[in-house]
Amino acid sequence: MRKEAVVSKDLKRVHLVQAALLLSFFLLLLLPVLAGYSDYILQVFTHALLLATLALAWNILGSSGAISLGHAAFFGVGAYGSALLSHDLGFSPWFTIPLGGFLATTVALIVGFLCLRLRGAYFALATLAFVEIPKVITDNWDGLTRGSLGLVGLPGLPTLRLGSYSLDISGSPVGSYYFVLCYALVLVLVVTLIFRSNLGLALQAIREEEIAAQAVGIQVQRYRILSLLVSGFFTGIGGALYAHLIRYVEPGLVYGLHFSAIPMIFAICGGRFTILGPALAALILYPLDQFIFHPLVPAGHEFLYGVIIILTILFMPSGFWGHLRKEQLVSIKTGSIE
Amino acid sequence: MSLLRLEALSKKFGDHWALRDIEFSINPGEIVGLMGPNGAGKTTMFNLISGRHRPSSGKVLFADKDITHYKPHEILRLGISRTFQSSRPFAKMSTLENVVAGRIFSKDFHLFTRPSDIETAEQLLELVGIAHKAQMPAGELTLSEQRRLDLARALATQPRLLLLDEVAAGFSPLAVKQAVDLVLRVRERGVTLFIIDHFLTLSLRVSDRLLALDRGEKVAEGSPREVMRNREVIRAYLGMRRKEE
Repeated sequence: MRKEAVVSKDLKRVHLVQAALLLSFFLLLLLPVLAGYSDYILQVFTHALLLATLALAWNILGSSGAISLGHAAFFGVGAYGSALLSHDLGFSPWFTIPLGGFLATTVALIVGFLCLRLRGAYFALATLAFVEIPKVITDNWDGLTRGSLGLVGLPGLPTLRLGSYSLDISGSPVGSYYFVLCYALVLVLVVTLIFRSNLGLALQAIREEEIAAQAVGIQVQRYRILSLLVSGFFTGIGGALYAHLIRYVEPGLVYGLHFSAIPMIFAICGGRFTILGPALAALILYPLDQFIFHPLVPAGHEFLYGVIIILTILFMPSGFWGHLRKEQLVSIKTGSIE
Repeated sequence: MSLLRLEALSKKFGDHWALRDIEFSINPGEIVGLMGPNGAGKTTMFNLISGRHRPSSGKVLFADKDITHYKPHEILRLGISRTFQSSRPFAKMSTLENVVAGRIFSKDFHLFTRPSDIETAEQLLELVGIAHKAQMPAGELTLSEQRRLDLARALATQPRLLLLDEVAAGFSPLAVKQAVDLVLRVRERGVTLFIIDHFLTLSLRVSDRLLALDRGEKVAEGSPREVMRNREVIRAYLGMRRKEE
């Protein structure tokens, strides 16, 4: 009898979490209405969604156990690649954004060959240093990139038309918001596919026990490179989207520490080895930062992220979503939930 | 035809010969014990056979195929699997997932786990006697359960030759007895076994033959009875007084 009571309590919790998740999803869908079409609120959430996609992309590599401090390299290359191709050669952003992604993948391949023999902190430091390479090139190749001045007046994303319905992506904050929301959902799907498939199993095996992973036939280096390439690709896409959304790129901005650190912070805080954790953390923390901490302490609002990361590592090393999921998982696996 | 043959196999770390000119072979269906004091080169031999390390010279032949320079996953695919001196479970995966992982990556890769993979894994857990712990995170198993899991995971890769490194070290007498039964059952499945067994807890009871190493060199091979009487082996294990030498 007692066991059944425990079971129903666990079940209730799982349902509660699922309900909360569903509710948040509908809130996101209805956000423009709920926010009274406020440009400011929509812009904050659009950026939060973009950061969510970066955190999701970061976590694809993160799930192999590697910690990258250099994802701004992929973000920046994606942003500049798409910016230059569309601005100078006049290609449509629909075409140049994926190209930006592939350019970032190429850079990821170089990072992979140079750094993936390293482990742990050494890999992290190498990636941190690596960001400087594309940044310095972009900064100094004036003829191609206009150097540190950056590029202004990039083409925005064209209006999408479907019959009589049209979505003005670049012209209206609502359009931008829904477009980035769609992209974020696509990325959630991609990450789910990776994590739930045997690719995810291989990455988990590698991060938990590399030598044993090799002994069961997992080609460790191959999977680590693959996860880096996919992670770099989607980070590059994120950078390219960003460039066309704000219609401006500059080396200090797109190669900044911000775009290396923030996705990592969200991923660790939400839960590195979970599907949704990184995205949820972005959607909670960034608006919290912008709406509450920024007005309070304009100069030092980013201290929030420092505090959050310390608290997470001390009290919930698997991240808040990882923590919740773990408790669910245990109750499911012990057979109490069927 | 021998299943595994080592020809003048040597491994040098710096100036130190970890293994030197080892000639040895194992026949299909045999259980062979590998004994020797600490530092004799037992684990090094496993690392060379499984492709984790490259030999300095000499050859490893598996079913008459020269696999000396094959990569670990290629060797695994051909049918040599191994366990480690200390258990290396994927601690946060369930016990069942551990075995499924052994199944999936060793042969043809499928993007999604098939029901048959799970069935096979369950049967293997049954075989090693930890089916009731299938859903438990592997990190929470006891030491001897982790040893059983190592075995199940290695068997999941469908080996023809299984290299077991100290599978019964630190076991209670009862657990040793169970391990003996288990090893015999594994042989019944058609798997040839090569077992590192420092303290001979297992080898003396199950091995058809023993290979004894000392300081990287072969000192004896033969039936357990012969090897245990060998003067070199006794000296390597127990030492001898000067006048006896």
